[in-house]
Amino acid sequence: MKVAYIFATQRNNISNVLAKMILPQLEQKRHGADVVGMFFFEDNNYVLVDGNPIGERLHKVAKDTGMLLMGCDQCCYEREIADKLFPGVPIGCFPDLYKALSGNVPDQVITL
Amino acid sequence: MTATCREACCSVTPRLTVAELFERGFRRNREAPRAIAGAPFTGAEDNAASFSLDVAEGQIIAVGFQASCCATLIAYCEYIAQIAPGFSLAIARELTAANLVDSVPGVPPFKRDRAVLAIAAFRGALLSAADEIHAENPINESRLHFRHPAQ
Repeated sequence: MKVAYIFATQRNNISNVLAKMILPQLEQKRHGADVVGMFFFEDNNYVLVDGNPIGERLHKVAKDTGMLLMGCDQCCYEREIADKLFPGVPIGCFPDLYKALSGNVPDQVITL
Repeated sequence: MTATCREACCSVTPRLTVAELFERGFRRNREAPRAIAGAPFTGAEDNAASFSLDVAEGQIIAVGFQASCCATLIAYCEYIAQIAPGFSLAIARELTAANLVDSVPGVPPFKRDRAVLAIAAFRGALLSAADEIHAENPINESRLHFRHPAQ
């Protein structure tokens, strides 16, 4: 099964759900589903800033597997990080996300 | 009473961020168009933009625009809408996409093509304004031939 994750809520989503659950499972190739994309809203975008330690690991997984990483453009502009993300990580809005996933369509989109 | 400082340290208008331009542009994008409407232009990824102008005595008085809901495109259009009032049409035509990219920092490279679309749409409105001015004040060519060319 192919899934895409949308990180919409803040709290400890990145430090806990992504960094301690999803990411280690992806690194160990035992997540149980093919993650074709991740989209980040609000402060969750800071994980995509070049140099972020969790982001470094995520970026490596994305490069190895072809997984899409994309930040919300308005959220990144608000935080003035749009031009500070890992190389090749795009920003965009829903049309960009759908277009980017159209070549590798997920069976499920999970909002976290 | 202390006078307002007019030195460069205090009088320079702070540069707006992309997010601030987008916030203002989002509202302007929903306003009614100005008197002179330019042709709509379409760019990559189906983004579209058109500008409208109020012009008096060859000077831009106010700028409006309608753009696709793309944060970068709206920010670029809003920057044009903020700086253009007061410009003559001839001066406004000199604004380029490269100027726009330089003036609105913080946009990642792969989104900067929106500046080209914004400038194309703005120039479309400038063209409409020039046509309208020309229609209102046609050049009287008879004065060009006041003397016979053979004389």
